[in-house]
Amino acid sequence: MSWRVLRLEGVGKDFTRADGGVAEVLRDVTLTVERGAFFTLLGPSGCGKSTLLNIVAGFEGATTGGASLDDRPVAGPGTDRTVIFQDVSNALFPWMNARENVEFGPKMARLGAVERNERAEKYLRLVGLDADGGKFPFELSGGMKQRIQIARALANDPDILLMDEPFAALDAITKKHLQVEFRKIWSETGKTIFYITHDIFEALLLSTHLAVMTAGPKAGIKEVFQLDLEEPRSPSNPDFAAMYSRVETLIDEEVQRMRAR
Amino acid sequence: MNAGKLARLSVSILVFTGVWWTSSGTFFEEAIVPSPVSVAGKLGEMIWNTQLFAHLGASLRRIVLGYALGCVIGVVVGVATGAIRLARDLIEPPLEFCRNIPPVALIPLVVSIFGIGEIGKYFIISYASGIAVLFNTAAGVASTPQIRVRAALCLGARKQDIFVRVVLPSAWPHILTGLRLALGFSFMGVVAAEMLAADQGIGFLIMQSTNIIAPAEMFVGFLMLGSFGLITDQLFRMTIHRLMRRYMIPMA
Repeated sequence: MSWRVLRLEGVGKDFTRADGGVAEVLRDVTLTVERGAFFTLLGPSGCGKSTLLNIVAGFEGATTGGASLDDRPVAGPGTDRTVIFQDVSNALFPWMNARENVEFGPKMARLGAVERNERAEKYLRLVGLDADGGKFPFELSGGMKQRIQIARALANDPDILLMDEPFAALDAITKKHLQVEFRKIWSETGKTIFYITHDIFEALLLSTHLAVMTAGPKAGIKEVFQLDLEEPRSPSNPDFAAMYSRVETLIDEEVQRMRAR
Repeated sequence: MNAGKLARLSVSILVFTGVWWTSSGTFFEEAIVPSPVSVAGKLGEMIWNTQLFAHLGASLRRIVLGYALGCVIGVVVGVATGAIRLARDLIEPPLEFCRNIPPVALIPLVVSIFGIGEIGKYFIISYASGIAVLFNTAAGVASTPQIRVRAALCLGARKQDIFVRVVLPSAWPHILTGLRLALGFSFMGVVAAEMLAADQGIGFLIMQSTNIIAPAEMFVGFLMLGSFGLITDQLFRMTIHRLMRRYMIPMA
């Protein structure tokens, strides 16, 4: 399954509200994500970032427009796109231990036991949990569970990881470690990442590309940046700091606009 | 069990028995609340003449069959109501209505329909246990986290795999809770059914003891209900603990 670009074209999404009215969440979102990119979507809470990710994942259809890999439209969930959820306790299978969770995808692909096991070991090692394969999710901390979810996704060898604020619920120290490690994993595996966050710092630390969204309803793309920041990325680098305040200004504008409405 | 816990358990049992013993013949007449000694004597006598086993056997047979039937129906219908919108909309309203009617209230009707034979008793117990299993199962199936289903789809599970691979295992703890509650309800159901219409069983033993003025027999009946309920619940907990080690659901 070779492809070059993930395209979102003219994506709009309406929801029917409980009172029967129509909520226009997204309006005319157009984006291009190059293969291999670490593409981050940054926006204020409630702007429809997750809805956009769900459309790319194939969980929800767009009301107008749609997502496609090159010219193949996304029609439903597929093994080429795997989602990493923030709510990891519900995303993992609690009745399976860490290894069994990681082996789930290979098992669905009907791989033999030996190969499944090799894959599980490889990716558990990659996320630093090779000694914890026999543990069940309830025995693991939030950060460890998130590592398992990342290993589980990678073991299935998808082209794109769709990540919905994966580290937002973790404590600051765990979050920082995972961010650094995950960026390393990204550069080693060469996966395309479609990442959602409302954390400017995280976005600048991780991404090669950054799209800032406008506030909802009728949210769209405000501006897209290519981030050629000095490596290793650090908030003390002047270009990092300059970019931070530039993005912060954009977000503040959107928050003001939302309040004024 | 450590020594401290064992000591506290012994004290608890001794105090309970002591209160019973001292109140018998003082606070209560002995003809109403017999002493532990006369109850123990009665128990021995009933074991000796095998009367006890006849009653106990009758009750347990009813419980086992009625409970098994109730569980099967409860799980099947519960899964259907939890998983299928149409089934839920059609089945749930009358069941929501029925769950407010205690099994005991149905006994007169059941006796009129089935007579005092065994079928009516199985019906009462199946009803009592089935409703508990059904509602817990339906709740468990319906509460499968959406993102767990989505995660499985991303990982290559087909739509037709989701039920067995995700929904059922997610609902399993709820189903077991229902099964355990239902076991308790089965005990209540069997006693009620036997008190009103039976010639054998623990419920009958208790009811009959007032007619023939044999208070010790009534207390033997209590003793049986208490200890058998306790034993089956403990067995159930142990089984669950084995099965559920994967879930680590704290079962009180």
